[in-house]
Amino acid sequence: MASLWKDFVRGLWEENPTFRILIGLCPTLAVTTSAINGMSMGLATAFVLICSSALISLLKRLISDKVRIPAYIIVIATFVTIVDLFMNAYLPELHQVLGLFIPLIVVNCIVLGRAEAFASKNTVIASVFDGLGMGLGFTWALTLLGSIREILGAGSVFGYRLLPEGATTFGIMSLPPGGFITLGILIAVMNMIANRQKAS
Amino acid sequence: MVIVLSVIAMISAGILAQVYSITSVIIEENQARALESSVFQVLPGTTKVNIIRRSADELGVDDPKEMREQEQTTSLIYEGVDDADRVIGYAFVGEGNGYGGSVRVLVGVEEASDEILNVKVLEHTETPGLGSKIEDESFRKQFVGKKVEDPLKLGQDIDSISGATVSSRAVTEAVRQGFDDATAIYRGGK
Amino acid sequence: MNLFVILLSALLVNNFVLVRFLGICPFMGVSKQVDSAIGMGLATTFVMVVASAATWLIQWFLLEPFGLPFLQNMAFILVIASMVQLVEMFLHKTSPGLYRAMGIFLPLITTNCAILGLAIMAVQGNYSFIETVVFALGGGLGFTLALILLAGIREDLEFADIPKPLQGAGIAFIIAGLLSLAFSGFAGLV
Repeated sequence: MASLWKDFVRGLWEENPTFRILIGLCPTLAVTTSAINGMSMGLATAFVLICSSALISLLKRLISDKVRIPAYIIVIATFVTIVDLFMNAYLPELHQVLGLFIPLIVVNCIVLGRAEAFASKNTVIASVFDGLGMGLGFTWALTLLGSIREILGAGSVFGYRLLPEGATTFGIMSLPPGGFITLGILIAVMNMIANRQKAS
Repeated sequence: MVIVLSVIAMISAGILAQVYSITSVIIEENQARALESSVFQVLPGTTKVNIIRRSADELGVDDPKEMREQEQTTSLIYEGVDDADRVIGYAFVGEGNGYGGSVRVLVGVEEASDEILNVKVLEHTETPGLGSKIEDESFRKQFVGKKVEDPLKLGQDIDSISGATVSSRAVTEAVRQGFDDATAIYRGGK
Repeated sequence: MNLFVILLSALLVNNFVLVRFLGICPFMGVSKQVDSAIGMGLATTFVMVVASAATWLIQWFLLEPFGLPFLQNMAFILVIASMVQLVEMFLHKTSPGLYRAMGIFLPLITTNCAILGLAIMAVQGNYSFIETVVFALGGGLGFTLALILLAGIREDLEFADIPKPLQGAGIAFIIAGLLSLAFSGFAGLV
């Protein structure tokens, strides 16, 4: 049990994909114009990550070393397409906002990276917990980034207005430059926290 | 090992075909319903929408790619009818280039007066909080009552949203272009 | 659409890295030195052009006529992965010099989302074959340009006194933000 817990929390902070390892950055920047978009993208990626990790771990004996990368890609692409189709059918508005970045989950280095580094060497249960931790770690990072950009750029968070109507907002935060700068500053903040943890 | 790989690929393709057959029906229904409700919005009073679709023969293409291209442009005109089967007006799609990509609008024109009744932004990738204000009523209502003879030009009879000139121009161009195309087809056809 | 407009749009106005946020991982990873930035950029551009041509053929001669749009994602990513392999083998055999310069970057290119993104966008935009190739060329050169710009600035930063937490990725993102701000000046150019 203790080791499962370790597999789970690793992704949340110590090896957080966004702030510590710096992978999967394209959707991180592109869809975090608002908190809800960031969170949905995170959850969609988490779903693909958990499912593909579980299946790859299950199939690890069947897949020989030489063809493992194409095999992983097929498994991941299948889950991505399922998410894409179901989102289009049941959440059409969200699907339109996230657009191109849903099919692009397939090339998100987090998913293939965990398949190669963890799921192909560990049990199904451990892989699920690892996928869950990494997926949620990615989700909270995207939600945080989205919230900050939404508050500064539009004066609201999750659509709830925080600043009064007509208050000056920084439209630039919703634009691409705002994404880069916010992420740069957040990474610096996370580095400071990590350094402090190490020192104490 | 090649066998394992092909088996995996075949199973995946099978699963996806299943999922696709379930979801594609819903997706198409969603799109049809979304479009219908958009037509209701731009042509108040409408209860039924007829699509005036030109057949493949008329378009003169049978290539699927070109067909799709044609269907996405303004060749479709939606006829809004009320309960008494009286034609209220026509709606059509126009497209302009915005800041983040193309902007698609639906324009509703009254049958009796040839005036624009309402304009709705169907699709855009403009900046949230800035360019996305093209969806606001205060901007869109500037188009109401305009006729095809009007200039419909940014700075002349349409005021730009401050800080979102490119997006405002995209909508104006989309309305202009849609109006011109539809008039050509509609008046040419009747 | 005008080919020049497509090229300019992909290169500057909708720069893949700085405006569309595609290919951020290699943008951050391989931008410490100008030399490697040029190598990575050109290798990516090459794969982009070859892969987008291949995916275009697959989309319009295989997936669309046989009604298999749901296999798009899988087919495209497998084509890109095999293209990368082929390019690697080809370079290895024919030009060892070029292989040494580009070789180490090639495996990284498969997971560069700019390539898959470009292939999907070309299909969604209904581009013709020539337009797709020009679009890929513009996108690849835009990626190279952004990479070289960031690498040039980061080389000079080697000797700057940057607060410790900001060192590395932190400052690189902020610089990228400023570059992106500069590139937003191109908006409305086409």
